[in-house]
Amino acid sequence: MSPNRRQFLKTTLGSSTLLSMSAAAPQFLLQTSAAAATAKSSSENVLVVIQLSGGNDGINTVIPYADDAYNANRFTLRIGSGQVKKIDDQLGFHPAMGGFSDLLEDGKLSVIQGVGYPNPNRSHFSSMDIWHTCHRNEKNRSSGWLGRYLDRSTVAGSDVPALHLGADRQPLALVGENIQTPTVSSLEDFKLDVGGDARLRESIQKRAEIERAGDHSLVSFMRQSSLNALSSSERVQEALKGYKTSVDYPTSGLAKRLRTIAQLIDAGMNTRIYYLTLGGFDTHANQGNAHRALLTELSDAVSAFVRDLGEHGHDKRALVMTFSEFGRRVKENASAGTDHGAAAPMFLAGGKIKPGLIGKTPSLTDLDKGDLKHHTDFRQVYAAVLEQWLKFDSAKILGKAYEPADVLA
Amino acid sequence: MNDLGAVKPDWAWAPFEPSASQPWNRRAAAHLYRRAGFGADSRQLDAAVKQGAEGAIKKLLYAGSSTLEDAPAKPLAKGGFTMKADMMGSMVMSGGKPQALGAWWLYRMLHTPDQSLEKLTLFWHGHFATSAAKVTDARMIKDHDTLLRRHARGNFGQLTHGMAKDPAMLVWLDSTTNRKRRPNENFSRELMELFCLRVGNYTEEDIREMARAFTGWEIRKGKFLVNDRQHDKGSKTFLGKTGAFKGEDAVRIVLEQPATARFIARKLTRYFVCDEPEMPDALIEPLAILFRENDLQVAPLVERILRSNLFYSKHAIAQKVRSPVELGIGLLRSLEATANLQQLNQSLGQLGQALYYPPNVKGWDGGRAWINSSTMLGRNNLVRRLLSDKETRFKGGDLAAVVKSAGVDGSEATVDWLLELLVASETPRSVRASLVSLAKTSKGEPHRRIAAVIHAISALPEFQLS
Repeated sequence: MSPNRRQFLKTTLGSSTLLSMSAAAPQFLLQTSAAAATAKSSSENVLVVIQLSGGNDGINTVIPYADDAYNANRFTLRIGSGQVKKIDDQLGFHPAMGGFSDLLEDGKLSVIQGVGYPNPNRSHFSSMDIWHTCHRNEKNRSSGWLGRYLDRSTVAGSDVPALHLGADRQPLALVGENIQTPTVSSLEDFKLDVGGDARLRESIQKRAEIERAGDHSLVSFMRQSSLNALSSSERVQEALKGYKTSVDYPTSGLAKRLRTIAQLIDAGMNTRIYYLTLGGFDTHANQGNAHRALLTELSDAVSAFVRDLGEHGHDKRALVMTFSEFGRRVKENASAGTDHGAAAPMFLAGGKIKPGLIGKTPSLTDLDKGDLKHHTDFRQVYAAVLEQWLKFDSAKILGKAYEPADVLA
Repeated sequence: MNDLGAVKPDWAWAPFEPSASQPWNRRAAAHLYRRAGFGADSRQLDAAVKQGAEGAIKKLLYAGSSTLEDAPAKPLAKGGFTMKADMMGSMVMSGGKPQALGAWWLYRMLHTPDQSLEKLTLFWHGHFATSAAKVTDARMIKDHDTLLRRHARGNFGQLTHGMAKDPAMLVWLDSTTNRKRRPNENFSRELMELFCLRVGNYTEEDIREMARAFTGWEIRKGKFLVNDRQHDKGSKTFLGKTGAFKGEDAVRIVLEQPATARFIARKLTRYFVCDEPEMPDALIEPLAILFRENDLQVAPLVERILRSNLFYSKHAIAQKVRSPVELGIGLLRSLEATANLQQLNQSLGQLGQALYYPPNVKGWDGGRAWINSSTMLGRNNLVRRLLSDKETRFKGGDLAAVVKSAGVDGSEATVDWLLELLVASETPRSVRASLVSLAKTSKGEPHRRIAAVIHAISALPEFQLS
């Protein structure tokens, strides 16, 4: 057992971690937590979700460069066959995506074409909510698909079951009934400043632990959040000590966060889900440079991450999944940008995926109100991830049984 | 749980009458100040108690004049605040960096004698959320701010008409060009979805048709202009109306929808009364009617809310999560403190509320969304830093001076005084006892011991609520 791992078990067995669970955690779970911690395995599969916020232009990401309709509709934004990173004689990655191109060559990337849902919504917020909750009806959107999974699968006494790394608000996808997922903007700052005074920290925790009378739901929420923050920060600080890699990560924000995740995975945290957001994809005007920068950040960071996991022997138990709330309209607009669209590709990366192009590429001429038609429902991809990766009955999470997309090896 | 299901609208919005169970005291006055503004110090609480609820509300809302109509005629002269703030604003502008504007606004919030103006300006900033992350021109952001402040307590219709032509807004929404042959749908969409109606009160077809009314509206060289050649003069049909509408007509038609008054009344109620649950329609309807009857004037609506029974009830007190700005400015105001506001502005950004940098067009979600493990620790760390920073001054001196001038003496009295000043809800007895023992046993000079107690209070779950 590595010294790191021993430290974890020590903290894990500490009483504070029990409190990171919902106040509503059943007593029997708390009693078995010590056993759960001892049996803790670092061999569980990990899911890393990267949300591309704003609506990624899938057409200029996986480019149908040989299609005349592409050149006709993208009169200023088109990228020629000489520039794309070719996948086959029809499709190629955006020139900024050398990293993804290499991953594909190594058999560690799958490109799922034409993902969407029926009767697509073109509002950022509504469509994002639909991807997060899997519910069309606004009234049902109180919990997210990952939150529901975490509610049903988490064992008390383990590490934080999921971690959201970012400064933005917590995605609805992670919201559950009982489990609270921490959102952390910078792991270095993720600690209580007590000027080295351990007793001060302890007294703060003690006052938060005191039971509050009545059923003031905001007070209980704050109390739980406070205890959660104290315990999870302690664990993460332990995990951050000492990590070596030969992979040269880019300096982008996404790369930094992925490096941290590689660290946490290697340290043996049994956090199952990491969630990241890359924003700025709402490219209504002068899309060219902005989109290039975003795709560079995504592609370079993910490829470094997957290589790093491989170096440490974790790439077979880590899966990266990207999605965006919608793609963009086929025809570019008058401002050298693109407006809200519908279907778009999703990417999976890691050592246990089916590499290559998956699913039918949408036609650029057979459109729905100017937008691409989808061929794969995003819930089929979720179903594959839930069933085959997280080993969970997807119908319980998604509300009904979707046929899992054939994307995992 | 905050159960609003059984609350009767007649009772809810009737003027608040103090009673034995809901007295008008320092606690109630602190609640009013936290919501209508950012917070009150001990002396202001005493003054408010003396003025009575109605007097205190009028003072906060109309800054000494009895009605809104009087207010503009009596500009605030106290300490020449407006002049000083304007001068600082010009200085900030000469630097040309929108990042510096945040600290300038914090200065206004901290020093203004007219807190409710800043509080409502902040509300509209979140509503017409426009970010300097994209609108990098500091002048545009400042003009946008001026527009928000000018109408903050005034007319929502005028504010919305102004927004439709506001350079910062149109840059933000990628709507600086809008051509006849390819109408830009973005502004029409957000006008209905986020600014006035909410999803469900219009169709995608309405968006497409309305976009035609805004064709020819452009921003060139930082200024709004109508490019007549690019305006589609044809007939349009949206929201059940047909005509050769222009952009102004589109805004007017949206404002006339009953959904607009309802949406704004609902959002203001959430801002001032409680984060959750969503108010039942029956409670919103009387306010929506009042709002429409007043031609979408904001001040009378806010006055009704702040004077209501509901506002002083358990359904409202401590039923909001403090936003980072409320937390930071509230603490400083309550303790009569000044601090390094550039640094504070940065910290508030890390806690999720960077002024002039809202996260997206929807603005800040507020409520529980402010809180996560990271911000929870960050809030406490911020208070610790503010209390220990050399640049923080309390009443020009240290914390001991503040406590002394309030005539408070002894550990128990100090803890009670601080809890009343800083915390909206009751705290369990054992928590109070623990704080008293901390006050008694902590070491060092008096001001350090008071700081230790305030730091401990700021780590309480209750401190996060307003």
